[in-house]
Amino acid sequence: MRQRGTFLRHATLVGVSAIMLLPFYWVLKTAVTNENIYAYPPRLLPESPHLFNFVDVWYFIPFPRYLLNSLIVSALVVASNIVFNAMAGYALTKSFAGKRAILLLFLSCMLIPFQATIIPAYLITSKLGLLNSYLGLAFPLLSTIVCIFVFKAAFEAVPQSLVDAARIDGLSEWRVILRVLMPLSKAAIATNVVLAFIWSWNAFLWPLIITREPTMQTLPLGLARFLSYMEDTTGALYAFAVMVLAPSIFVFLMAQKEFIRGLTSGATKG
Amino acid sequence: MMPAAGGAPGGSAERHNGWWQRKRTRELALVACFLLPSLVVFFLYRVLPLGWNLLLSVQYWSPLKPARWAGLDHYEEMLLYDDVFWQSLTNTLIFIGAAPFAIALALGIALLVNSDLKGAAVYRSIVFLSYPLMTVAVGIIWRWMYDERGGIINFALRESGLVAKPIPFLQSFEWALPSVIVAEVWQVLGFYMIIILTGLQSIPQHLYEAASIDGAPRWAQFWRITLPMLKPSLFLCAVVGILNSFTSFDLVYIMTNGGPGHATELLITYIYKSGFGQTKFDYAAALTVAQFILLLALTYLANRAAGGNAGSLERR
Amino acid sequence: MPHWATSRWVIAPLAIAGLVLAWNGYVALNDGGLVEGQVVDASGRPVPNANVILLERHFVMHNERQRTRTDRAGRFRFAGNDNHSLQLEAEAAGLGRTERRVVRLWFRAQNVRLAEPLQLAGKLP
Repeated sequence: MRQRGTFLRHATLVGVSAIMLLPFYWVLKTAVTNENIYAYPPRLLPESPHLFNFVDVWYFIPFPRYLLNSLIVSALVVASNIVFNAMAGYALTKSFAGKRAILLLFLSCMLIPFQATIIPAYLITSKLGLLNSYLGLAFPLLSTIVCIFVFKAAFEAVPQSLVDAARIDGLSEWRVILRVLMPLSKAAIATNVVLAFIWSWNAFLWPLIITREPTMQTLPLGLARFLSYMEDTTGALYAFAVMVLAPSIFVFLMAQKEFIRGLTSGATKG
Repeated sequence: MMPAAGGAPGGSAERHNGWWQRKRTRELALVACFLLPSLVVFFLYRVLPLGWNLLLSVQYWSPLKPARWAGLDHYEEMLLYDDVFWQSLTNTLIFIGAAPFAIALALGIALLVNSDLKGAAVYRSIVFLSYPLMTVAVGIIWRWMYDERGGIINFALRESGLVAKPIPFLQSFEWALPSVIVAEVWQVLGFYMIIILTGLQSIPQHLYEAASIDGAPRWAQFWRITLPMLKPSLFLCAVVGILNSFTSFDLVYIMTNGGPGHATELLITYIYKSGFGQTKFDYAAALTVAQFILLLALTYLANRAAGGNAGSLERR
Repeated sequence: MPHWATSRWVIAPLAIAGLVLAWNGYVALNDGGLVEGQVVDASGRPVPNANVILLERHFVMHNERQRTRTDRAGRFRFAGNDNHSLQLEAEAAGLGRTERRVVRLWFRAQNVRLAEPLQLAGKLP
């Protein structure tokens, strides 16, 4: 009886997994296929698979340029998320007048989806003169509330006695943060890196609004542009999709635990 | 929490007091400096836009002309004369209405995964894998899945004899919206599952043990213990589902761009088109206000349904 | 070895950086833009003085880029190719044309030597 229950569970989960993985398989298959991709019936296995579609993507469109733009924006976002969020998280471990107000502000900001602010956000960025710039692309993501709370929780978990001991040794406030708190918050840093990277790497609506020149476009925009040129007629489009997905999948597999903890830190009390 | 420096070494009470004061000021300055960058970001891109948006929605404004007071004209146009608004509102509601089904599905998967099953972690990773991916690429993948000739869905339907002619999923008025929703559910399902799993793991095991001793059957345990204890997690899922109607811009833009006609137009794509396609920023601002009110109302309702404990977002 | 050096956060990025460097090194050593090959007749004998055309790909079209003639051993050689997707075609008076040979390269201007010669339909007398 129990045996059969376990088997049924496995069978169901294998089925679910197969459905979840099917789109990945289908896009990979198309990306390595040279045959006429519109032929009916489509083949379930790729015929004489090759990787030249990836080479095509690299050269047909300014892929290196998009990649560079995406990497610059992501690096900006990741770096500033670590610094700014750690600072804000540290400040929130102190007690000060107005702390409740700040916490409330952060929590209510969390409920404002960024997409709901695009019009004034565009106007503000244009007033700041940051349209079409890396800083403008990165600005809304430079600090993120969820990650601030991740840092706050990590700092609060550091035993107070350790901090006190460091202070008695004469370490300045900065040194305490850099030498004691940060090294003990590696998991929080990893969470910040992963979340900030994924968010900035995948961002589409914001870059779509504020970049006007192709030279400033990031990978998602390049992908959308490629789609509008080619109208899914070529395996290269799917090779492109695979190429932009690979880094996120890589990061996700590297740091699944940190990623999940970061995302669910809103669900559990931080 | 009191400042950590309470145990200052030595010194008379008076000296201690002065030292304390200086320390306090320094600490306040530090806190202010440390909070400043984040506050600037949130002020510029969350708080200020919200206010400005409200202001824009009651003005006649375009980038080249000075602002004029419009009162509720935009709202009047939107509510009384704009069919596209109503259609995109309906679509958005349908989009959100699909969330409970997705959450139920995720709950089922979470219950299966949350056990001593061998390889549960692998299943969990597979289901979750689609969530962190670039939505633009996901849209492209699903366009291709739905394709009339090269798509595997039509292929499977035709091979199994369910349909004689391929269904042009994304080009048909009836199928386009459900098709986009399926793709959206595929992407977000893993996230719901993770939230629910976190909730499941926080349910104390002894509740089940006690129920077992009382002889309560499994389904009764599910209804009496699991579901009530999961309320905060389910509420969070609902909030995510509501927010997703905003964040699904990427998916809709890539898969159908709101078409055919306005069959898959969501409020967010309509806002984008009005604002950046037709440069009617003022009107788009009014649409944004409408969507924001919708968001707040639905979140409030979900919160009420979850027992009114404000879920876990505010519980910190 | 220090503890941090064995972390996957150090190893994985370093491995990627190493791969990228190695690949770029390989590219730098092999991007001379040479395309070499041979033209033979239907019975496999080298065809001297045959016309060889090099076409390169632009999005979906292939445009002619260079022409050359084979030497006494039927060999030809193009220099200065800077594309990554080529087609080669040969013709000789009285021997007809070859089929277009698709040559796909791993990077721009990769040096390449055709393993199989281009084969004309006719036979040398």
